[in-house]
Amino acid sequence: MIKVDHLTASYKTLDGNVVAVEDANFEIRDNEIFGVAGESGCGKSTLLKVLYDILDFPLQVDAGRVLFTGEKNGQPFSLETGGVRKAWWNHISYVPQAAMSVLNPIARLKNQFLDSIPPEDRGRETKEQTLDRVRAYLEELNLSSETLDAYPFQLSGGMRQRAIIALATFMHPSVILADEPTTALDVVVQRGILMLLMKLQKASRNTMVLVSHDLGVHYQITDRIGIMYSGRMMEIGKTVDLFQNPKHPYTAMLIDALPRVGDKRQRVGIPGSPPPLRNPPPGCRFAARCPKAKDVCRHDAPAFREVSQGRYAACHLLEGEDA
Amino acid sequence: MRRVRFGKYLAGRLLSWFMVIFIGITFMFFIPRFFPADPVEGMIAKILSMTSLPEDQVVYIRESLRMQYGLQGTLWQQYLGFLKGAVRLDFGPSLMNFPTDASSIVMRYLPYTVGLSLVTTVVAWTLGNLIGMLAGFRKNKKSSVVLEYIAIFIYPIPYFILALVVQILFCFVWRIFPLTATIVLNQGAARFWETLLRSSILPACTMVVVGFGWWVISMKAMSENTAEEEYVRFARLRGIREGKIATSYVFRNSIIPQVSGLSISLGGVFGGALMTEIIFQYPGVGQLVQKAITQADYNMIMATVSISIVSISTATLAADLIYPLIDPRIRFQ
Repeated sequence: MIKVDHLTASYKTLDGNVVAVEDANFEIRDNEIFGVAGESGCGKSTLLKVLYDILDFPLQVDAGRVLFTGEKNGQPFSLETGGVRKAWWNHISYVPQAAMSVLNPIARLKNQFLDSIPPEDRGRETKEQTLDRVRAYLEELNLSSETLDAYPFQLSGGMRQRAIIALATFMHPSVILADEPTTALDVVVQRGILMLLMKLQKASRNTMVLVSHDLGVHYQITDRIGIMYSGRMMEIGKTVDLFQNPKHPYTAMLIDALPRVGDKRQRVGIPGSPPPLRNPPPGCRFAARCPKAKDVCRHDAPAFREVSQGRYAACHLLEGEDA
Repeated sequence: MRRVRFGKYLAGRLLSWFMVIFIGITFMFFIPRFFPADPVEGMIAKILSMTSLPEDQVVYIRESLRMQYGLQGTLWQQYLGFLKGAVRLDFGPSLMNFPTDASSIVMRYLPYTVGLSLVTTVVAWTLGNLIGMLAGFRKNKKSSVVLEYIAIFIYPIPYFILALVVQILFCFVWRIFPLTATIVLNQGAARFWETLLRSSILPACTMVVVGFGWWVISMKAMSENTAEEEYVRFARLRGIREGKIATSYVFRNSIIPQVSGLSISLGGVFGGALMTEIIFQYPGVGQLVQKAITQADYNMIMATVSISIVSISTATLAADLIYPLIDPRIRFQ
């Protein structure tokens, strides 16, 4: 389980702190694909960075923490922000955006696999044993075992992303964080990659956190979804429920903007743009663009709370509904 | 399939290698012959300044000199004769050291030149790339900044100024090294190597210092850029230790252009280091070329410059052939 405990993270700049994630407080369960959605600059990648503990200047955690608990090979483990790095690739791994350039261009893939074995796992098996295991694993992912002898430039975009996913999962981590894993790929390849991620998650029953701005991606594979806006978590719920019955006006507008097969209605976007993170307005971050905003929305920030069973949202309009 | 492609590539590349040498040598054959200086007339003037000779004897001497220098006949006949000799590395007698063979004089100087330039080029390259790599990879460390400033400070210093300063310091103020190179040839091997070493240290050090600044600056820029690459970032996120990232990811990618730079520099080691040879009175091909040009010693010019042309084009050829070994993305077409 991943517990995000009142987490606030910001970028230190010359003009003051830019708070990219503010008071995020939620849980990601074991054995689920949790999606983080929202428009550009809403803090979803920052959230993922903090989860993965990439706290390099100027990113810093101002308050709260992230706590990982779980078990691997029958061994329980628990990790906390600041100490996640030592578990990289062993308990937790990271799938970057599909890009040409995330693999060393002049090294054969097998060397990049061997480089990625965590120090504590070295010596547990010989290089040949590791490579045999990786070869078998690649075939499970529909990649020829010859891929190991290839250089990255010899693979197509889809093959490369499969190889990267293999690279991120061949040590069988309990948590996989994926940052826009399909964004640079065409829709056909994208679907293949998503199905692969889903298959891997079902097989190893681990936790996957998937960041994407594309709600279609979330709809296809996530179990639960968290909608972020302007650094704040707006709504969390089961993906199906959330799509069928969005509680937060922002979620509702996002979903309403999605094109649907057979529906010829003109789609309207959400007018306006998100508030600046450097100097956000008081009250609800979405108030300025929300058609249903009341006076209270502009002055008081709504609490993020459980509005119905397993459903969380931060909106004054839901105040009447009972938790 | 790949072998056939490589054979085709190699054949084409060898042809262009041969053409470059041929055209270069041809140019070098004709250019000195348009100089205002004429070696035969120069020699006759030298003889006439010592004794007076009757006109028919002067004509006779002129004819026999032309024959011995290989300068009789039309320019075209001379050219064919030259080509015939050149394939056997026979460039005829040196005119300024008549009748010694030009090739044998070059061969006497070549080991010093090559020894000095080869060692300094390799040392400067290695040192420069290591320092540049450190400065680029750990660019926020104080030591890296200091190293980079030293390189930037040294790089633009003109060689002769550095050499003179070094000479004043180490030959006059502290009399550690001889002012001019004196290599003792006739007192046994031990004495020879000792004097060679003593005479070479200052020239070598100054050449390294002047040469390595460029490698530091270029390697620093390369490794700094490479260190920002996504594959380096992703390597860090995989928990790969910094040492491995520095070697297999940053260094391995940054060194590629430097290797071709090195092979071009190595091609130049046969051309001599004129400035060093003049300032330190170091025996070398550079001075030989300079003297040959000023005294219109056609054969010596041809002997020295041909070696340079062949070595530089061979080095470029070698660089092209080595490239696919260090960069898998490059394939022969």
